[in-house]
Parts: sequence; structure tokens; C-alpha cells
Amino acid sequence: MIAALAPLSFLAQSATGNSFDVPANVVFYIVAAFMVFAAIRVVTTDNIVHAALWLILVLSGVGLNFLLLQAEFVAITQILVYLGAIVVLFLFGIMLTRAPLGRADDLDNNMRPIGVAVGLLLTAVIAFALIRTFGNDSLTFEAYAGSQAVAGNNRTTALANEIFGPQLIPFEVLSVLLTAALIGAIVLARRD
Amino acid sequence: MLALLAQASDVFTKPTVDYHALAPELILVGTIIVLALVDSWKLERARPVMSAIAGLGLLAALVPVITLAVDGTDRVLLDGGYVVDSMSLVLKALFIVSAYVVVLLSINYMAEGDYWESEYYTLLICSVLGMTVMASSRDLIGIFIALELLSIPAYMLAAWRKGDERSNEAGMKYYLMGVFATGILLYGMSLAYGLGGSTNLEAIGLQLADLGSDGVPVVALALLFTIIGFGFKVSAVPFHTWAPDTYEGAPTPVTAFLAVASKAAGFVALIQVTYFCFIVRSDVIEPIFFVLSISSMTVGNLIALRQSNVIRMLAYSGIAQAGFMLAPFAVASSDPALSLQAVVTYLVIYAAMNLGAFAVIIAIARRTRSAELEDLGGLFTYMPGLAVAFTLFLASLIGIPPLGGWWAKFGVFASLIEADSGLGWTLAIVMAVNTAIAAYYYLAVARAMWFDDVPEGTDTSPVRTPATLGFAVVITLIATLLFGILPQVVNDVTDFGLVALGG
Repeated sequence: MIAALAPLSFLAQSATGNSFDVPANVVFYIVAAFMVFAAIRVVTTDNIVHAALWLILVLSGVGLNFLLLQAEFVAITQILVYLGAIVVLFLFGIMLTRAPLGRADDLDNNMRPIGVAVGLLLTAVIAFALIRTFGNDSLTFEAYAGSQAVAGNNRTTALANEIFGPQLIPFEVLSVLLTAALIGAIVLARRD
Repeated sequence: MLALLAQASDVFTKPTVDYHALAPELILVGTIIVLALVDSWKLERARPVMSAIAGLGLLAALVPVITLAVDGTDRVLLDGGYVVDSMSLVLKALFIVSAYVVVLLSINYMAEGDYWESEYYTLLICSVLGMTVMASSRDLIGIFIALELLSIPAYMLAAWRKGDERSNEAGMKYYLMGVFATGILLYGMSLAYGLGGSTNLEAIGLQLADLGSDGVPVVALALLFTIIGFGFKVSAVPFHTWAPDTYEGAPTPVTAFLAVASKAAGFVALIQVTYFCFIVRSDVIEPIFFVLSISSMTVGNLIALRQSNVIRMLAYSGIAQAGFMLAPFAVASSDPALSLQAVVTYLVIYAAMNLGAFAVIIAIARRTRSAELEDLGGLFTYMPGLAVAFTLFLASLIGIPPLGGWWAKFGVFASLIEADSGLGWTLAIVMAVNTAIAAYYYLAVARAMWFDDVPEGTDTSPVRTPATLGFAVVITLIATLLFGILPQVVNDVTDFGLVALGG
């Protein structure tokens, strides 16, 4: 029993100091595996409502990854906006229109082998490039304690400084973009 | 707690905003607000004045562009993320004038069909705002948001003829392909950000230049994905599949807008990322542009040969023209200033002649109700003015002196030959062959108008062209002739000197 747990002893080691590299890695791999599985289910399921629900898992995985990187504001925004608004909007859209709710056979087509081939090829190319370039780099996950927690935890502040400083024009322009999308969507969607 | 946080954080410095530099954008935003307010206040009664408001707003936005150009100082805003210099001013003027011509083309078309006229002009100005922001952005985030702002209204405008299935298909195809391209673009940009550690183009460029050989695969992916993302926008082969169906199905003034302004905006994005960032890795980007350029001009021309619909023919010829415009990018590093000038000159002249061709098609279609080649037979006998104008635009698109098109092509040839590299010479030869192929299908249209018989049942009584459409044809015709006879005019305007990174 003890011997079986030996591989997990690294968990205890890493608890020393401020670094939490190993738990972060473990959580990342679990989340990543879930995300890959859920992403595959999004495109393979026959039921469009299920696809939207699997998408929730993928997007919350992204949120968790941001949390691991201690970007808590981005993580919460990801959860609120993508899960709370966009996917819920998908579901409303599906339920309020006359889209089929149950299993639908025409959601799939016979392009699956090509899709798998392209997906694998792209994965191989991207993985090769990323590992070749960034393979030896490592991130250190450090926890802050006491007053350091306040001082070190300024990622949200940095984000705010960035948005209202150097990115001011794109930020303001976004509001025009959303207005335009709203006006156009109403025109196209309304019945005349 | 909050006080502690405020102490700990970097002190926030309020960015200084140069309102003169931002005046064109601010006037466009003001126009959008006025359009939306007038629309919601006057409802249906607003319809007749909307086009006038949009047109006046565009002309008003042109005023600060001119005062900034007279002033002549380069204005750098927001830590180098937003630059108003001579190049961005030329491009802004190009977008605003093109949009003004599109408004002129739209007035009768939109009023006579049953369209959502008021919202049409609002979305059009939103898209133009995105283009003017694009012309100044030197930052990945700014470029991306500008691209979205100019694309999203365009997706919806393509589907504006709601009752027509072909228009729905046009909008849907454009939207799906555009979103797919956006995904690829974002992936490329995120890799570029990861390599550069900044969203500022110049900072990324300097970082890319220092990267060792280990970085090459990721650099290649980042640059390839980013260029592919913009390749969709400029309808370069093999990312062109949306263009013909979208151009044919969309309302014709929107097609003109997509074929000229939207395409030019895609090129401006390519100019920004290429000349201000990626040029340091010319070993990676030049082969990519070489392949895109050769395939675009050849495939576009070969398919254009077989088209029987003039709008589809212009769509495919636009793909070929995009190939010509991509050619200088493939020799960007040997003389950045010269190749940049060739691209911008081509964009300006292409806008004039292509908008003119669309203006004539819209005017002709008011009578013939179609853009099929066979319905244009004998056009000269009953619409001589339009037939002559169309012939001139087609001749300019081929590149026959003394019309504008020849100077555009000359600039590209000059930059390719000046580069004196294998890529440059190959491109120059392929381009010469393609120019000859293009002459065949452009002249086929001219032949139909001048020599073919009038089809049975065509009403050949004299036609009155609406004043606004006539004005659009005259403006574009004057520009096309002026750029051809006095190329020095456009040459002086597009001579930016050494603006490129490391140029």
C-alpha cells in the first residue's frame, strides 16, 4: 500500500516553500485530459443540447487554467461570460427556435476520416513546433503569503492599467463593435 | 486592503489623448451615433435623410485627415500602439473616399428595394470606422479589434437582401469562412505574442529578429497562421472560396464595398504585420507570400476566363488582382520602401477603377436587371456613355496606358525586378503571362458591349441614370484617368520613405 503511494510522495515534497509546481502540474494534466475528452464529445455527439453542455466543460477547463496561472480576474470573466452568458444563450437559442432537441442524425456527415486526419496532422505539427521551441522552458508557480500576497497579487491591476492605458482605443472601439453587432442582428433576425 | 493594493500596483498613468490625431475616428463615431438616434427618433420618416447624413459624416471625417496631412508630423499615441503618419493618413483617406462612393452607389439601390435602409448606413459607417482604426494600429490587439469591427458589419450587410436565398447564402458563407479565418489568425497572433512577449508589433519584431534557430518552427507557424488569417480577408487562393458566391449574392453596392474597401483593409492589416514586424523574418514570410501570390493570380484568372456573369467575373479577377498586390510582399525585405509604395499605389488605383466598374454595373443593371454577359450585348447602342466608361475601367484593370491601372502594375513590376532575386523574377514573369490572360476576359466584356447584337426583348429607349450614380462614375473615372496620366500625383502621396522596421 505504502509502496503503491510512493510515486505520489512528490506531492509532500513540493509543499515546502512557496512553490506549488507539482500540484499545479497534476491539476493541469487532469483538466487538460477532461478538456480534450469534452472537446471531442462536442463534435461527435448526436444531440445538439449535449454538445452545448460538453462545451461548458471545455470552457470551464480554460477558466481553471487561467486560475492556475493566478489570473483570477480573467478566470472569473471566462466563467461568467462564456459559461454564464454565451453557452446559456446557445441553449436558449436552441430551445426557443424550432431546432430539434433530441438526437439528430443529420448533425454528422461522412467527412469524419478527413477531419480526423487534418486534426491529427495539425496536432503533430503544432506539438513539434511548440516542443522544439519551448520544450525546455518551465513556469514556476509561486504562492504569496502575508503582505506579499497583496503586493504580488497585482495581475488584475496590471490588466486594468493595460485596458485603460495602452489599449484604450481598442477598448473604446469594442463598444462600437457590440452596437453594430446588435443592430445588425436585430435587422437580420426580425420577421418582416 | 484597497489602499494597500493601490500602493502596491504600478502607478496608473493616464494616457495622453491627441484629439486632433483621433478626429477622423471621432467624427465617424459621432456619425454612427447621429444615425442611430435619428433612426430611433424618426423611424420610417428618417429613411430619405440617412444616406445624406452618412455621406456628410464621411466627408466631414475627411477634413481632419487633410489637416493632419498638412500638419505633417507623425503622431504616436498609446505607447506606439496607434500611429498617425503619412501612410496611415493615405489609407484612411482611401477608406473614407471609397465608402463615400459606396454610399453614392447605395442611395437608389437601397431606396428602390425593400431594405432596412437606416441600419444599412449605420453598419456601413461602423465598418469604415474599423478600417480607419486598422490603418493606424501597430498592436496585435488593435489590429484584431479593427478587423472584427470592419468584418462583422460586412458579414451582415452581405445578407441584407433578406428575402433572397442567394443573399442569405452569401452572408452565411462569408460569415462562416470569416470566423474560421479569425480562429486561425488568433492562434497565429497568440504564438507571435508568446514569442515576442508583447502585443506591440515593433517589440515583437525586435524579439523575433533575435530568436535562435530553435524558434524557427514556432516562428513559421505564427507567421503562417497570421498571414492565412488575413489571406481569407483579401481572398487569396486557396482561401478564396467564399468570394464568388458572396459577391454574386450580396446586394451589389455591398459587393463593391467588399471588393474594394474590405479587401484593402485586409491588405492594410498585412502591411502592418509584414512591414512593421514580420519583415525581420523575411526567410519565412517571403516564400509564403510567393506561393499565395502565384496561386492567386493564376487560379483567379483561369476561373475568371469561364465566367458568364460579369459580377462573378469581377470577383475572380479581383482574386487575381489580389495576387498582383501580394507580389511585392514576396520581395519585401530587399527594398521595403519601394515594395510598400507599390502595394499602396496599387490599392489606391485599384479602388478607383474597381469601384468605377461596379458603379457602371449597378447603373446598367437598373435597365437589364441582370449582370449576365449576354444581356450586355449592344449596350453601346442604347447606353453609350456607360459603355464607354465601362470600357475605360476594364482597360484600366488590364493595365493599358494611359489609364491608372498601368501605373499600378508598373510599380509592382518595378519592385519585383529591382529586388533582383529568384522569387522576384519568377513572379514578374508569371505576372506578365497573367496580365495577358486577364486582357482576354476583360476585352470579351467590351466586345459584347460594342459589337454584339442587342438581345431580343431589351428595352432600348434612352435611360436616365440617377445623378448620384452618375456622380460616382464621374469621380472614379476622373481618378482612374488622373492616376494614369499624372502618376506623379499618387507617387508623391504614397512615398513614405523608410517607415518599415529595420528599413
